[in-house]
Amino acid sequence: MRKLLIALAFVASPVAAQDHPDLSGFWAPDFGPVERPQELMDKLPDDVGMVEDTGVEEFPRGEFGELVLTPFAEDQAIEWYPETEMSIARVCLPPGIVYSLQGPFPFEIHQFDDVIVIRYEYFDQTRLVFMDGREHPGEGYPHSKMGFSTGRWEGEELIVETTHLAASTITNNGLNHTDGIVMRERYRLSDDGEQLMATQWFRDREVIENDGARFISWSKREGEHVYPYECDPSFALEYQGIGAE
Amino acid sequence: MTGRGKVAVLAAGMAALALPAMAHHSFAVFFDETRTVSIEGEVTSFRFTNPHGTIALDVTSASGEVEKWRVETTAPVVLQRRRWSRSSLRAGDHVRIDGWPARDGKPYLRLRSATVDGRPVGQAFTVGED
Repeated sequence: MRKLLIALAFVASPVAAQDHPDLSGFWAPDFGPVERPQELMDKLPDDVGMVEDTGVEEFPRGEFGELVLTPFAEDQAIEWYPETEMSIARVCLPPGIVYSLQGPFPFEIHQFDDVIVIRYEYFDQTRLVFMDGREHPGEGYPHSKMGFSTGRWEGEELIVETTHLAASTITNNGLNHTDGIVMRERYRLSDDGEQLMATQWFRDREVIENDGARFISWSKREGEHVYPYECDPSFALEYQGIGAE
Repeated sequence: MTGRGKVAVLAAGMAALALPAMAHHSFAVFFDETRTVSIEGEVTSFRFTNPHGTIALDVTSASGEVEKWRVETTAPVVLQRRRWSRSSLRAGDHVRIDGWPARDGKPYLRLRSATVDGRPVGQAFTVGED
C-alpha cells in the first residue's frame, strides 16, 4: 500500500504542474519589433510612463522615456558622468533586476510548484520566485540586486512581486532607483509557447513621480543554456588606456 | 529649522539612500548609433572577457602616422553564440573593423563587424545586440 501511495505521489506531481503554463526553458531576448498583446498591456495602470529602451540601444544621456524624474533624481542624472563607471572598482558591479531584466542577455527558467528559479546569464545572477504563498519579509530583511520575489498565477499569467531591492540603475544613464523601489512583472506565453512576453511595472516615488513600465519579450531556444559570465574588471584599464599611448 | 534647512537635510538623506552600484555601460551613452566608421590595421591584442572584449590595433594613416585604436566588442558570452572565440583574432592579424564611433571623439569604436584578410569573423551586429 505504501509503495502504491509513493507511486501515486510521483505520478500526481507533473499533473498538478500542468495546471499552469510551463515557462521552463532557455529564453533569449527579441531584438526586432514584437506585437504587444493588448490584454497584457491593458493591465498596466493608465498613467504609467513607458520606458522604450528594450531590444534596441539603451537611452543616451538625458533621455528617460515617459518617466517623470523628481528634482532629486534630475540633479543626480545631471551630475552623472559615464566615465566614472569605467573603473576597476565599478565595472564589474552587477546591476539590479529593474534594469537588467530588459538587457540583451538570455536566461533559463526552472519551474516548480513551490518556487521558480530564474538563472540569468548577465553577471551570473540567480533569482528565486517563491510560489508557496509566503509573505514578503519585514524591513530588517537584507536588500539585494535581485530582491525578494513572490509569485502567483492569475489565469494563464504569472505575476511576480519584488521588494527588498538594493539601489541600482533604472536606465543605465544616470537615473537610479533607491532601495525603496517595488516591481511587478506579469508574464505570459504566446499561443504557440515559443515566445515569453512580460510587462515590468515599478514604483519609486523618491526618484520618479509617475510609475514606470516596460514591455519585454524573449524567444525560446531549445537545447541552449546560459554561459558563465565571470566579469573581468581589467576591461576598465582598456578603456582608460584609450588615447594614452 | 528653516524651510530651506529642512530641504537640505532631506536631500542629504535621500542621497544616502540612493547610492547605486552600476556596471556594464550603456551603448547609447558612449556610442553614436547613427554613424558607422571603418578602420583597418594590425591587431596588437585581443581580450575575450566580459563585460566587453577589446581589440587593440595600430592604424596607419595616409601620412604614415600610426594611431592606436581600441574596439569594444559585445559581451563574449554573446559573441560565442556568433561564432567568435578567444582565438578569433591574434596579434599581427590584418583586420578591418566596421563599428559605431565614440561620442567623445576618442579612437574608440563599438564592433559591428570584422574581417581578417577579407574573411568575416563571426556574425555582424545590429544596434542593441549587446
